[in-house]
Amino acid sequence: MSIDMTQFYQVFFEESAEHLAEMESLLLGLDVLAPEPEDLNAIFRAAHSIKGSSGTFGFTDLAELTHVLENLLDKIRKNEIPLRAEMVDAFLETGDLLKTMLAAHQGGEAADPGTVAAVSQRLQQLTDGVEGSAGTPVTAAAGAAAPAAPAGEAVAPSAGPGERGFCIEFVPTAASASHGVAGFVAELGRHGRVEVLQQPPQDEPVGFWSLRLLAPALPESVREQLDFIAEKDAWRIEEDRSVGSDGAAAFGFFDDAPGLSDETRGYGFFDPLPEAGGEAEAYGFFAPLPEPEAAPGPGLAGDPEGAYGFFDSLPAEAAAPASAGADEGYGFFEPLPAPEPASPAPVAEAQALSPAQPLDAEDGSYGFFEPLPAPPAAAPAPQPPARQLPEEKHEPGPQAPVPAAAPKVQKPGKAVVAAGGDSSIRVSVEKVDQLINLVGELVITQAMLLQTVAQMQEAAPERLVNGLTQLERNSRDLQEAVMSIRMLPISFVFSRFPRVVRDLSAKLGKQVELKTIGDTTELDKGLIERIADPLTHLIRNSLDHGIESPEKRAALGKNPCGTITLKASHQGGNVVIEVGDDGAGLNREKILAKAREKGLQVSEQMTDQEVFALIFEAGFSTADQVTDVSGRGVGMDVVRRNIQELGGRIEIESMLGIGTRMTVRLPLTLAILDGMSVAVGDQTYILPLSYVMESLQPEPGDIKTLANQGRVIQVRGEYLPVVVLHEIFNIQKAVTHFNQGIMVVLDADGASAALFVDALVGQHQVVIKSLEANYRRVQGISGATIMGDGHVALILDVSAIVGMGKQQMQRAA
Amino acid sequence: MEAMQAAAQRGEEELASSEFLTFTLGQEEYAIDILRVQEIRGYEPPTLIANAPPFIKGVINLRGIIVPIVDLRIKFHLPLVEYTPFTVVIILNVANRVVGVVVDSVSDVIRLSPAQIRPAPDFSASFDTKYIQGLATAEGRMLIVTDIEQLMVSREMDLLDSPDSNGAAAH
Repeated sequence: MSIDMTQFYQVFFEESAEHLAEMESLLLGLDVLAPEPEDLNAIFRAAHSIKGSSGTFGFTDLAELTHVLENLLDKIRKNEIPLRAEMVDAFLETGDLLKTMLAAHQGGEAADPGTVAAVSQRLQQLTDGVEGSAGTPVTAAAGAAAPAAPAGEAVAPSAGPGERGFCIEFVPTAASASHGVAGFVAELGRHGRVEVLQQPPQDEPVGFWSLRLLAPALPESVREQLDFIAEKDAWRIEEDRSVGSDGAAAFGFFDDAPGLSDETRGYGFFDPLPEAGGEAEAYGFFAPLPEPEAAPGPGLAGDPEGAYGFFDSLPAEAAAPASAGADEGYGFFEPLPAPEPASPAPVAEAQALSPAQPLDAEDGSYGFFEPLPAPPAAAPAPQPPARQLPEEKHEPGPQAPVPAAAPKVQKPGKAVVAAGGDSSIRVSVEKVDQLINLVGELVITQAMLLQTVAQMQEAAPERLVNGLTQLERNSRDLQEAVMSIRMLPISFVFSRFPRVVRDLSAKLGKQVELKTIGDTTELDKGLIERIADPLTHLIRNSLDHGIESPEKRAALGKNPCGTITLKASHQGGNVVIEVGDDGAGLNREKILAKAREKGLQVSEQMTDQEVFALIFEAGFSTADQVTDVSGRGVGMDVVRRNIQELGGRIEIESMLGIGTRMTVRLPLTLAILDGMSVAVGDQTYILPLSYVMESLQPEPGDIKTLANQGRVIQVRGEYLPVVVLHEIFNIQKAVTHFNQGIMVVLDADGASAALFVDALVGQHQVVIKSLEANYRRVQGISGATIMGDGHVALILDVSAIVGMGKQQMQRAA
Repeated sequence: MEAMQAAAQRGEEELASSEFLTFTLGQEEYAIDILRVQEIRGYEPPTLIANAPPFIKGVINLRGIIVPIVDLRIKFHLPLVEYTPFTVVIILNVANRVVGVVVDSVSDVIRLSPAQIRPAPDFSASFDTKYIQGLATAEGRMLIVTDIEQLMVSREMDLLDSPDSNGAAAH
């Protein structure tokens, strides 16, 4: 299945902007002399998230810079380097730069590559502990590191006449990492001047290489050699336009993005097509259609008097309608790799170079995205080309391939609003939430009326009763309909992952197949947005630590190609997402040893679940080596925190040598909760139903004490700690003996406890309201809701309550 | 001439003056900036909050939002605290939050100019003077002009999350 990553770009931009803003505010509030560890962790996590998702989306420039930033932050976080004021300055500057780079990817002004190099140099220096003032040495180093031209300008000073620059990027295979690459670089040197822009560290030769070649033309042999030293989808060549000597001769020479080459349908594979119009300087840039000879058609079929269509960066919209007009094929573009830092903003250049508009007036030739009526071959197709992604209709945003969007393609980042002809509209989530709130109020009011009528009994006029019954039905339907506005299929998240798995497995030299099951499972949009990060972490983790290398797998008698299974389903009021792999599994002994090393309290008696849950502790990683994929031990604690914030939980099952399965349980929406109401004295509390295992009426004598303090109850052979709600909340109770009330067995994060309450009242769907909006956090309470009679009921925080039970036991023991 | 000047001065004072809501707590009469007041409503029994200080009565549902209720009479150690059908709650809008305070009764809306508000003498500790803007006299009554926002966000009210209160609650 082909995945159009562009549909997630907007989400990525928004998320990254949020992370940057958070990072900045934390940095600004940081006390340099005595920084809060929690703040440092939060800053680190923000940087880590940006790095992770920019890597996922192929924005390598962002990922590289944040990687350097992260390294330094990690050292500070671990107290290896003390925080200094100049570091905070450097971080803030990096944050600004990242913002600029983000804006560049959104169609804004490109960031100055000199600045990028300088900032990254400075961070590196700070990491290495070089005492450098922010001033001169850095600039000098930047000059050395970035001899390239300032961004946006066409000619690099070093490029001679007739010379062009090519950026060559690849990740060599392990076999050819050392000698093969050296030979390749030497070979390139015979064709032109070569600069190594980036190379992996000496001790880790399998890594990302970036070269720039200045030569009159790209030698044919280069591609063959690259194919030899790198996996065929782990390299790319593109022309570095910042060194192109003149605009007219510039042509793109793109290969598909690494990691995607075996997709056969329409890629941006840009080649010069001099034969198309007989004009030497006329080049088309478009997708090769299934029949290569059809390719010149749409762009150049007319009179290409020096005209060339030129689209860059995000050609999906432009190419698709145009080629569809030609022969009903369609260009399906994978997102192109991010422009190298050194290359100027493609948008600006596209405008500068594209003579389409003036020429169009003069001699009737036309640019690609001018929706002219005249030459039929080039007019955008009246119908958007059929795209295969089923979720397309849910996301009418930036990439909606309607013809009307075509003229806007010159500014891809701005073509946000799709013109008419689409059956969906874009509404801000705020408005939908407001609607949901209002409907919630309506339902409550309706329930209050119904209760009043019930109290009137015989005195209520029949018509009023009938009307209210009707109202009840209508408001329930209305509530469901409004809720469904926010529901989206989980394929929105899942469809990101094939790319993640492909890129990462290529990078790690592993063979992995990703299976997704239950793509159509619907859940709340708010959840969709916030579950993507944790799931990405889990998948990266499975890939990096779970799946073994093909050789090892073969030696173990497994299929050399590992499998990661993503499965989503509804279970009751929950959405259950499983990330499973058939890899090495978790090593209980290794985790226990690591936990002891970290000073955590562990014992051999802990159950497997409890042991595995240790990997969610902050800073816990059993990886022997920190890679830029994972191993720093931040991922998993963020994962668990994020999932808990969503009201969900995560469980791990694993068998050594067989595989690991992580199960994430989430509520269907963030706004509504299935709850069980319990009474204590005159108060009503809501227990989230997903935590309730069972309830029972204890017999006298069922409850035993431990050291006369902790109480336990035996349920099915297991002793559970008893938490007495009226005791921990200091409220008046109605029942005096255990056998008059009810024990509710709760299970949270793998630990259980029995909660003693007076009575069970009923089961409701409740709308979650924040207690913190006007008050503060209360221990043991996760929120509030409004009951049918208009009263407030507090929602119990089950994890905290189970934790209290545990504490009681520990005190008693 | 002098009369005119006096009149002009009074006009200026009128301009600079602002409106205050006055309410009673026991024998004392307080005045708070009316712009902080969202509405006044009757007392209804709120939902208790676990382990909250006694002056925090609980939370109520105010048209869909959850609003904490503070009984200032308990906070200020008044001897007689009872809830009758005439007990009122002043719903305040302070520091971007909505908070209800229970008082004995609401009396009046009056206009006070800055000149009418005199600095308060130092009290002994029963009520922290930093929340008192001053004392004013209206129709022979003494009003305690209170900065209700400062009072509500103060640590002793325990209405906001603060590192301290978290730590205390987590024990």
